[in-house]
Amino acid sequence: MNRISVETTDKAKFYQQMVRQHGSPLLILDCDQLVKQYNALTEALPGVELFYAIKALPHPAAIQTLDALGAGFDIATSGEIELLREQHASARHTIHTHPIKRDKDIRDALRFGCTTFVVDNVYELEKFVDFRHRVGLLVRVSFPNPNTPIDLSRKFGCREDEVSILIQKAQSLGLHVKGLSFHAGSQSPDSRNHVHAIERCTEIINQVYQNSGKLLSILDIGGGFPVEYTQSIMDISSFCEPINAVIKKLPDHIQVIAEPGRFLCAPAMTAVSKVMGKAKRGDACWYYLDDGVYGSYSGQLFDHALYPLTIFSDIKEIEQAVIAGPTCDSIDVIAEQINIPPLAIGDIVVGHQMGAYTSASSTHFNLFDKAKIVAINQPAVMAENVLRFEQK
Amino acid sequence: MKTYAETLYDAYGQQFSVDKVYFENKTDHQHLIIFENAKFGRVMALDGIIQTTEADEFIYHEMLTHVPLMAHGNVKRVLIIGGGDGGMLREVCKHASVEHITQVEIDDQVVEMCKEFLPRHSAGAYDDPRVNIVIDDGANFVRECEDRFDVIISDSTDPIGPGDVLFTSDFYENCKKCLAEGGVLVTQNGVAYMQLDEVTTTAKRQQRYFADQSFYCAAVPTYIGGVMTFAWATDNLALRQLDKETIAQRFAAANIKTRYYNPAIHVASFALPQYILDALAG
Repeated sequence: MNRISVETTDKAKFYQQMVRQHGSPLLILDCDQLVKQYNALTEALPGVELFYAIKALPHPAAIQTLDALGAGFDIATSGEIELLREQHASARHTIHTHPIKRDKDIRDALRFGCTTFVVDNVYELEKFVDFRHRVGLLVRVSFPNPNTPIDLSRKFGCREDEVSILIQKAQSLGLHVKGLSFHAGSQSPDSRNHVHAIERCTEIINQVYQNSGKLLSILDIGGGFPVEYTQSIMDISSFCEPINAVIKKLPDHIQVIAEPGRFLCAPAMTAVSKVMGKAKRGDACWYYLDDGVYGSYSGQLFDHALYPLTIFSDIKEIEQAVIAGPTCDSIDVIAEQINIPPLAIGDIVVGHQMGAYTSASSTHFNLFDKAKIVAINQPAVMAENVLRFEQK
Repeated sequence: MKTYAETLYDAYGQQFSVDKVYFENKTDHQHLIIFENAKFGRVMALDGIIQTTEADEFIYHEMLTHVPLMAHGNVKRVLIIGGGDGGMLREVCKHASVEHITQVEIDDQVVEMCKEFLPRHSAGAYDDPRVNIVIDDGANFVRECEDRFDVIISDSTDPIGPGDVLFTSDFYENCKKCLAEGGVLVTQNGVAYMQLDEVTTTAKRQQRYFADQSFYCAAVPTYIGGVMTFAWATDNLALRQLDKETIAQRFAAANIKTRYYNPAIHVASFALPQYILDALAG
């Protein structure tokens, strides 16, 4: 169930003002918060290069903010490449991580300047033969994680025993495999699967070297760093401590990289919606917001997240309520069996931790407009903003 | 300090200091930039790959022009595919014996932009009365063209992008059709040490249509990684075997001033390194 907090109405002023200025529904992207999250993860994972998984929140302000901090980018599609191109992000600091690609996807990425790609099977290796002199590959290994709401080792990733076969095949095709990657699962409650995966990869890397003399130099530990939705979670430094301990056991020449998405952007965005209608149905009062699970709250379906909500009221009495979205579909319910003070039409409801996989997966169902994203506290755009070069 | 890093290869690359940016376009799904570099003058890069620089372009343009024209010996009509920067046109225009030049460029904006930002490449060649500029896809042009040319020069971009149609069997077959008897097709074919596949693939495809197919070489500093190869395709077996004296006579008669090309280079450039010969032998 969503966590619901009730604040006094004077606390709603900022949101009311933003809605007056920009309309409702609204998503407020706080770039300061992005910076804080990036710095927190950098501190928690010293020496690990971070590549922001832009699928989580493909927004120009997020790209600009993280690019200015020196982050790289994890891309998966030609659309994401276009976004980076528009933001003048450095192509040298990108990795293409989609394990399944069309020929055009590979060409688009190469033309953009991305030369690192992820593969997890022989068919995919063969797609790179025409580009073999230009690319460096990471082999994605599967480490299933039963303890995570989103197991990212089911759809993609080869078995551990397939790694050396793939590397041999790559060598016979004239392709360069430069490292391994894995995804320990998204929103992991603890880092045990990361630790397990790094330990296994360490062994694979050592074995590959012993058996064939092939030097692997990169380990991509994926993402999965958790943020708080319904339950309190481990703070990021405690989460990363065991990861750092096993990273230390890797051969010295290995560069560890990671692909955080959710951890960086989830806390940076807040949804502001208005009650557009209400009805008493049975014992519960139904409140219909102008945003719902077909919109910014789409992550409640696709991402298995339940966002913390805040309502604003000075009334002490509470009653049973349902908070629903605006569309005609009855699945469009954000929170039910909750007890809150009565709301009026036009009141504001705020959703927190709504940066990751929210607007990214929202739809135009019923032809409702998507919530507008307004970026605040954006770092001053460089005077010579026309050009961003490889300054890193 | 601003720098521009080429992103052609994952494990190796060249980097330029950028003193001033003259032009940049990140739209139309591509990234084009022209900037000033202390060592190479104005540098043009497309999609992370260096296309041409003012300092070393003469090597590339002279070799793709004078080698086929001098070997042929009686060139009246020349077709240039691509070459929007005008460097190839400038070199072809040096030949007083050439009566007609058609240049096919896919994008008229490239020509205009290069006239403005790389004026030393064309050096006024676009105003030559012998020149006919056609805005069309080069592959489409040779498919539908009824004219015949003595030399066709393909000055294409990298085969990863839109230039890939200029590396197909169909393109070579249509070029053959557009050549007058004994005519020569030459094509930009990449740096063999870095991309040996391009040599073997082109050889296989061109051999189907031409009695003589081979390559000649020149090192162009900003096409990094060793010598660049130019594909050579013709039905006239003699053209590749001409001796230095014959070329020297023609070169003297043409009265052309060059900075890289000369009769000795002409003859020597057909000598291929063993690793290329081995790759071609399969």
